[in-house]
Parts: sequence; structure tokens; C-alpha cells
Amino acid sequence: MMNDEQSVLIWVHEDCLHPNSPALQAHSQAPRVFVFDEFSRVSLKRIVFQYECLLEIPNIEIRRGEVVAQLVAAARDHDCQRIVTMASVTPSFAKITSVLQREYLLSLTLLASEPFLELVAGEADGLDLKRFSRFWQAIKGRALSLNQSFDW
Amino acid sequence: MLVANENRMKLRTDFTDRAELIAYLRETFPASAALSPDVSAMRGGRNAAEAMLQRINPERYAATRNHLNGAVTMLSAYLRHGVLTLAEVRRTALQRAGAKAEKLVQELAWRDYWQRVYARIGDGVWKDRESYKTGWRPVDYQSELPADIADGATGLNCMDQFATELQQTGYLHNHARMWLAAYVIHFRRVQWQVGAAWFLEHLLDGDPASNNLSWQWVGSTFAVKPYYFNRDNLEQFTDGKYCRDCQHYRQGCPFEATYDELQSRLFPREN
Ligand SMILES: Cc1cc2nc3c(=O)[nH]c(=O)nc-3n(C[C@H](O)[C@H](O)[C@H](O)COP(=O)(O)OP(=O)(O)OC[C@H]3O[C@@H](n4cnc5c(N)ncnc54)[C@H](O)[C@@H]3O)c2cc1C
Repeated sequence: MMNDEQSVLIWVHEDCLHPNSPALQAHSQAPRVFVFDEFSRVSLKRIVFQYECLLEIPNIEIRRGEVVAQLVAAARDHDCQRIVTMASVTPSFAKITSVLQREYLLSLTLLASEPFLELVAGEADGLDLKRFSRFWQAIKGRALSLNQSFDW
Repeated sequence: MLVANENRMKLRTDFTDRAELIAYLRETFPASAALSPDVSAMRGGRNAAEAMLQRINPERYAATRNHLNGAVTMLSAYLRHGVLTLAEVRRTALQRAGAKAEKLVQELAWRDYWQRVYARIGDGVWKDRESYKTGWRPVDYQSELPADIADGATGLNCMDQFATELQQTGYLHNHARMWLAAYVIHFRRVQWQVGAAWFLEHLLDGDPASNNLSWQWVGSTFAVKPYYFNRDNLEQFTDGKYCRDCQHYRQGCPFEATYDELQSRLFPREN
């Protein structure tokens, strides 16, 4: 575990800019990098907002370019073989992580933030998502009770 | 050459103040600055997020959230970027207001819901989930955003100010998003995708799931009927602040009608 620490690169992405995310907590000494996707079409104010979030993450390395190429370059610079990052449902996230693994042979660990609700195993796949009202009926009781906890 | 190029790709992190940061980003991201030169007063970061979280008032939220001056939380940009979790906002709300936090928790659940749909359909958030229930076919909707809308130059005070606020601050109240989206889709008959892409360029909380699926909800491709509104509704939840000095108040306001009149005007083929 200790030795492993040397080889971890944390990929911080826009779906989790928390300065104390489970990934940053699990590897407090590991290099951490964020990449501004050169193809993304967002206005300046969004970049300023994200940048201000990033500046609260100690020792963050901020890059800009094509995301996979920049992550691979950062892994090489820091001599890392393993990337640790926060899970995301964004479709491009799945594409990027699969290229990192298959083409660049980097190993990958996904961590998750505390969920809105703890569902029982397998429940998420079976949820009826046709309309919000059905979803809400299924979770309402649990959503309004306080007794769920998480070690953040 | 390669090294020089890569170094250029590493951005600075040493700034003495916000003005210096903004000047640097303006220079480093010229295409983004060209989309809109403005910067929001809302600060990024966990520190700012925690301060905002301290200020939430779930009880007042429930009573006033539909009003433009209501006690909404303005936490969306922090939630969207994982700087706050839905779980901790839910916990704070319940600790503070117990059962009276239901409305706020339900709105938080909307975000969780859209994210779950996103996990299942991915880039499908850009496609019509269902057919339009407006009587119009997808090809009947324009595929470009009319310039007067983006320029805030429609002459309709409400819509012009919403468009300006969106582009200058990156935030709009939920009701303003609904009205503006309904105006774009139903009153100007523009494809929801066009409006959704425009919002995503500017919203600090811009999120393909919450945004696109809300646009589809307004458009009716993810709902049983289209969402639209009339002037009474807008006036009520804005205290008439846009209408008061609107040049179209007495004549030419497209929203000044009963719902039945709007229904037959906007969706004639449905009747
Ligand atoms: C056309 C349109 C586009 C939208 N685009 C986005 C978007 O890109 N990103 C985004 O986060 N929200 C979007 N919303 C949802 C909603 O308008 C915003 O989340 C809300 O206005 C943000 O302000 P607030 O934080 O003060 O919200 P509050 O009313 O204080 O709600 C608290 C939190 O609950 C969540 N929430 C509340 N209402 C909704 C909702 N209807 N759908 C999803 N989450 C909700 C948000 O995370 C919000 O921060 C959109 C709505 C519409 C009608």
C-alpha cells in the first residue's frame, strides 16, 4: 500500500472539484492533475468558477489540451502507472477511462462520493425512471429520513 | 519543440488576487472570452459553498421558491461540480427543518433523478426521448437560435433581461429558465436542442442531464404535455417587475392571453 502511493496519479475532473474528495483523501501525497478540455465550448465565467474551485486543491497541476494526451503526459512526468479518480456518469468519462486502460495500459481506480441515497444492492438498475413522480414515490420515505450516514 | 508545447499546456496557479486570475484566464481562453466576456460574482470553491450552505432556509424555500425573489439556495453550481454533495445538502436541510424540508429535498431529488437517467442513456440526452405533444414535427422547429434572443433584443423586457442575466452571471432562477425555454421552444418554435446548447455555454451549473432533460420537459419530449405560461403567471412570480416598463405591456405582448387562447395559438394542430 505504501509503495503503491508512489505510482498513483489523481485525475480531478469537473464532476468532482471537492478539495477533500475521497480520491484526494485516499492519496494525500499523490500528484493531482486537472485538464481543461480544449474542445469544450463554455464561456469564461464557467472557467473562472472551475478555476477558483481548483485553486483550493493543494498542489493541483492544471493543464489544458486533449484530455487523454494530457493525462498520459502527466502520468509519465510523475512516473505513475495508476490513475485514481471519482466515478462519473458523463459519457466522455467512460470513453476516456477505457482508452487510458486499453491503449495506455494504465490501471484505474474509481471512487464514489456519498450518494444522495443508499439504495439496496441491485435496486438502482430496477428503478422506474420513466417519470420523476414514480422515482420520487419509490424513494421519498428514505429521502426524508435522517438516519443514513457516510464517513466523508 | 514538444517540451515547449507541453509546458504551454500547464497553466498557472499562483495568483495574488481574483483580478489577476481573471486577466490570465481571459488571455488563456480567448474563445471562451469571445462567447461572453463577463465573469460571475459567484465564487468557486468549497469555502464559498460552505458559506452558502449555512444560509439555506428550507422552510422559507418551500413557501417562496417559485418566486424570483424566493429563498432559493443558489447551490447548483457547487452541486454540479461535486464541491457539495446532494447528500450533505439533504442532511443539512433535514437537520434544520425536519419534515418541513420536504420541498427542498424533493428538488434535490430531481438532480439525482436526472443523473440516473443520464447514467442509462448517456448522449441520448441530446435526442428526443419521446415525440413532441405539440402537434408539430421535429422538422417544424428552427435549428438556429434567432439572434434577437441571444442579443437580448426581442423587445420583450422579461426575455431580454433573462437572456442578459444568463450571459452575464451564468445563473437564472428556475422559473426564469422555464419561461425562457418555453419562449424559445413554443413561442419562437426553435428546437429544444438549440436552446439547451446555448444554456450550457453560459450556466455555471450547466449540466447535460439537468439542462437537456429540463429542456425536453418544457418541450414535451420528456413529459405528457408541453410547459407554457401566460403573462399573469409571469407577473405574479416577478411582482410585475419586467412588465411595468415593457414597451409591449399594452400592445404586442405574446404572453397576454388565457391558457386556452395560448393553447390554440401555439399548438393549432392539437385542437
Ligand atoms: C430549461 C432548464 C434548464 C436547466 N438547466 C440546469 C442545469 O444545467 N444545471 C442544473 O443544475 N439545473 C438546471 N435546471 C434546474 C434548475 O433550474 C436549477 O437547478 C436551479 O434553478 C438552480 O438554482 P438553485 O441552486 O438556487 O436551486 P434550488 O431551487 O435552491 O434547488 C436546490 C438544488 O436542487 C437541484 N434542483 C432544483 N431544481 C432542480 C430541477 N428542476 N432539476 C434538477 N435539479 C434541480 C439543484 O442542484 C439545486 O441547486 C434547469 C431547469 C430548466 C427549466
